[in-house]
Amino acid sequence: MAKVADNINPLIYEKRSEREVTSTDRDEDVADDFDEREIFDMIRNINDPEHPLTLEDLRVVEEGNIIINNKENSVHVRFTPTIPHCSMATLIGLSIRVQLLRALPSRFKVTVTVSEGSHASEHAVNKQLADKERVAAALENNNLVQIINQCISTALAG
Amino acid sequence: MNSIWLHPELSDEIMKDEEIFNRTPSIILDIVAQKLDITKLVENMGKVLTNSEATNRLKGMRFFTKILKEMPKNYLTEIQVNFISKFYIDRLKDHHSIIPAVLDGYSAIIEMVNYKMENCGEFLVALFREVSCQSQVRQDRYNIYLIIKTLMEKNLDYMKNLGPDFVYGVISAIEGERDPRNLMFLFNFLPHFISNIPLGHLNDEMFDVVSCYYPIDFYPSSDDPAAVTRQDLAKALAPCLCATPSFGEQCLILLIEKLDSSLRLAKIDSLHLLRETCATFKPESYAPFLKTLWASIHRELTNKSDDELRMAAHEALSSLVKNISVTVNTDQAFENFVKGIIISMQTAIAEATTLAQFTQATRVLLTTANASKESCIIVTNSMIPATIAYYSFNNTPKLQHAAIEFLGDMYDIAKYWKATQELASQLDEIPQLCLTAVSQTSKEFQIAGLKTLIRVLPVLKSDLIVPFVEVLIHNVKHAQDNDLLSVSVEAVHAIAMKYPEEIMSLVLKGKCDLEHLTEDKVGLDKRLNLLCNLASIDEFTKIIVEEMLTIITKNKDDADKVVKALSASISNTSLYSQEKVTQIESDYGLVDSVIIWLLKEIADTTAPESLAHGYSLVATTISNLPEAKQIAILDKHTQNILERCKEDEVYFLMLESLYNSLHQSVHNSSFHEVMMLALNLSLRSEQEIIRSTACILIAHFLNKAEYGAKFEVLYETLKTYLSSCNKENIDSMCVRLISLYGWITKALILRGSDMFLFWLQKIMVALLNPECCSEGAKAIKLILSYSPDCLTDKQHCRISLLYRQRMFQTFAQLTEKLSNMDKRVKEAYLLSWAYILEKAPKSVLNSEAFKIAPLVIESLEHDHQDLLLVMVDILCHIIQSNQVVIAGSLQTILPRLVKLSTYVKSMDVRIKSLQCLYEIANVYSTTLLLPHKQDMLLDLAPSLDDKKRLVRNMAVRARTRWYLIGAPGEAKEN
Repeated sequence: MAKVADNINPLIYEKRSEREVTSTDRDEDVADDFDEREIFDMIRNINDPEHPLTLEDLRVVEEGNIIINNKENSVHVRFTPTIPHCSMATLIGLSIRVQLLRALPSRFKVTVTVSEGSHASEHAVNKQLADKERVAAALENNNLVQIINQCISTALAG
Repeated sequence: MNSIWLHPELSDEIMKDEEIFNRTPSIILDIVAQKLDITKLVENMGKVLTNSEATNRLKGMRFFTKILKEMPKNYLTEIQVNFISKFYIDRLKDHHSIIPAVLDGYSAIIEMVNYKMENCGEFLVALFREVSCQSQVRQDRYNIYLIIKTLMEKNLDYMKNLGPDFVYGVISAIEGERDPRNLMFLFNFLPHFISNIPLGHLNDEMFDVVSCYYPIDFYPSSDDPAAVTRQDLAKALAPCLCATPSFGEQCLILLIEKLDSSLRLAKIDSLHLLRETCATFKPESYAPFLKTLWASIHRELTNKSDDELRMAAHEALSSLVKNISVTVNTDQAFENFVKGIIISMQTAIAEATTLAQFTQATRVLLTTANASKESCIIVTNSMIPATIAYYSFNNTPKLQHAAIEFLGDMYDIAKYWKATQELASQLDEIPQLCLTAVSQTSKEFQIAGLKTLIRVLPVLKSDLIVPFVEVLIHNVKHAQDNDLLSVSVEAVHAIAMKYPEEIMSLVLKGKCDLEHLTEDKVGLDKRLNLLCNLASIDEFTKIIVEEMLTIITKNKDDADKVVKALSASISNTSLYSQEKVTQIESDYGLVDSVIIWLLKEIADTTAPESLAHGYSLVATTISNLPEAKQIAILDKHTQNILERCKEDEVYFLMLESLYNSLHQSVHNSSFHEVMMLALNLSLRSEQEIIRSTACILIAHFLNKAEYGAKFEVLYETLKTYLSSCNKENIDSMCVRLISLYGWITKALILRGSDMFLFWLQKIMVALLNPECCSEGAKAIKLILSYSPDCLTDKQHCRISLLYRQRMFQTFAQLTEKLSNMDKRVKEAYLLSWAYILEKAPKSVLNSEAFKIAPLVIESLEHDHQDLLLVMVDILCHIIQSNQVVIAGSLQTILPRLVKLSTYVKSMDVRIKSLQCLYEIANVYSTTLLLPHKQDMLLDLAPSLDDKKRLVRNMAVRARTRWYLIGAPGEAKEN
């Protein structure tokens, strides 16, 4: 029997509708900057490692918790685990990081942190996610990469 | 001739020589020809049949069985059959190795015409006593089942009287059967057996024997060519378990137990079984279990991720409610059950925070209401007030919209069960709520309210009309949003159908006063649109159309707006039927008035756009008229307009609007003149629009003319005219000629005529000439494109179904031998292919992928936007259907697509090529893709920073997909 999920019956929230394509989006001459919604669209469909639900369904990631600065080339994503002692927080953070590394141009510096006060060991998780070498080491681990890839691969379907 | 079977030596022969088995047909012939008596034959076989060696007796029985099987079924007499039957029954006691031959032979005896059922009792007794069914091989077990089945088919009443011993025998015979094919046979046969043979005290035993298979857990071996699947078995087993009402209690206990299992398949099977049981079991059987059943079904209904399970639960619930609803008058249980459902769902609705949760709960209620009239009444009675209250409590707009829609759904179900009378007091509340919603300022509320209002219109009371009309007319006049506008117009239309008089006084004499219609210029378009819509209702037609025609004939300023509104409404076939248009035309002379107006306006050189509405109004009206009326109109106006055409070619547009929508059989003396005029203008007019209109008219003529004299004359006219033109040989005419050829080809291929080939070849000549190759490509595009204004069935043209496929085939043949093309020609050539492939059916693309792929790959190198767009799209399609052709040329394709992913001129090309790259990663096997992975990841990086967001989105999909190639966690089989 597999390990029982930390949060067996999570609250499910409303999905946002797809981004509407505006006439400026179709205009060849206008350059579109990266915005919060675009980053959100990249990570909203990542699967939760425990449930067949997306991070958006569980409101782990929200558009309001994303900060992007096009001039300084920085992206900051804060995510909110569903419960304060969620053991998957690091894994979720890692998935978000990996997805953004693959999906954003290399000029951006990506920071992923737990929202303030939403997790018991917030500091430790943030430290792990900020440590480049630990992230790189984690990505050498085949089992871990497999889980992350499974979480991310559903993001493509959307 | 002295055959061996006429002598006792036959026995020795059977023992010695297998060859004799092949000669049974001759024996049969001798028996039938009465050269040999069957008793004599048996006597001759005596030695072998009673031999002390079991193997020899087996040979004898096999031989005898073979003869019986080949014997004509009606030859043996009753006494003979009885005798042989007795003999065979006796043989059942013999050595076990002989049993197969005995069973085989007895199934042949049963088939005989003179077989008496009385024999079978004895046979079955001996069979069940002497033969242990499950220790036989598969085929023999099958034969035993088959014998029982055949006997039941032969005389059911006799079998019913055999009593418990027979039932017991059958139960012990089938107990422990494990072969899937035999089980399939049994499961198909047993429902018949169980429901017809009285089981008596063996009821429980029978159920146990069948239920031990439930739920089916079986996987066919992979090398079985005609495997029995789990689905087949599960589907066949369910009817056995509920074949008789007396299984009720046990069956329900069983299925409740399995519903609570953690196995998904067990749950699905149980829900399907529950649905099946509802057809046979009596409502009383369910009474003790209703609470438990609802608890289990409820759990599956709220399943978040498994749709199949949820659907099965809905079906089961629906059948259950339907089954027990017959007890509504005798028992409280049904009402309690439905109320239980309502209470749990009300809780769910109250707690719902998302639309998905809300619809999940309401869907359960709708399923319940949909199951029977009784449940519908209970559900609607309590849910309508509850939903109305919910609407006012809740303040999440999305949920409120859903609540309004839910009311509409409930009304539809009540209407379906014809329960609107009983529920009148509840249903009457719905329009009031719609009014509340419609009075909101938000567009979404208004749309939701109006949509439900249109559904529940029959219960709209007259006192609500005034407020509704107030809001609706305001919308019609001032709404900026198209959705809201059209739904408002639709609502007014719906109300007008029910309350014509009220709308007449409120709208036509009040808000949109007809007599002063044009005094207020604000929103005139929108009011006209509403009025034209209303005019399709009989009560309104006269007053509105007359007023409009007066405006057209008298009021110069606003006439064009009226014409535009009329033209838009009349072409909407769901509003205006053919009969209605014909009636309007004959009562009010619509065409005449419009033509008079047009003539006046042309003289005044009004803007071409407003004239165009006039032309299309004339054309649509004419297309709706019967033939005689069409001819009458032509006769009345043709000469006049033809005269004017001689002075100014603008009048030709009017002529075309008269002639382009005629029926195929309509013909008159002016056709020749009109055709000549059209030909002349199509090549010589200086105005683009007149040239193309002339071409369209020529195409219509060619397409519609009946084969035979009429068509010949037309075709000759065309050819003579063109050959006279060729002599003049003017350069500027070349382009126009090619376009005319295009139209001619289109008209002919659409009617399925082979003559199109001649004209297509002319286009091919142009296509291969560097001077005018692009014109050739344009002509090809024209042939394949669809336009709602020309060559449609609404305009009574002939349209053969597969013309695009035919075009594909023909073009492929014509271009087969081409080689060495000039660069310009090559591009036009590929472009023509692009137009053809774009419209060709997808099935053709799949079957011809080998031919198409090289063209597509070559096109990727040409810097031509239209060409690239189509070709990359087709490439995408070919990849999606996983064609091997592409797999072989990935080395060529990938770099070309990467290059196109930064194509500056068009973002669509960039998006499409990135999509192709995504599809490639998705479809082809890892071994093929892995060598390219690292290059692709680098090559895709620049697109992530594309200046257009839509391109970036696709680049993200493609790149993240390529990352997964060959990586752990990729969900791909190869």
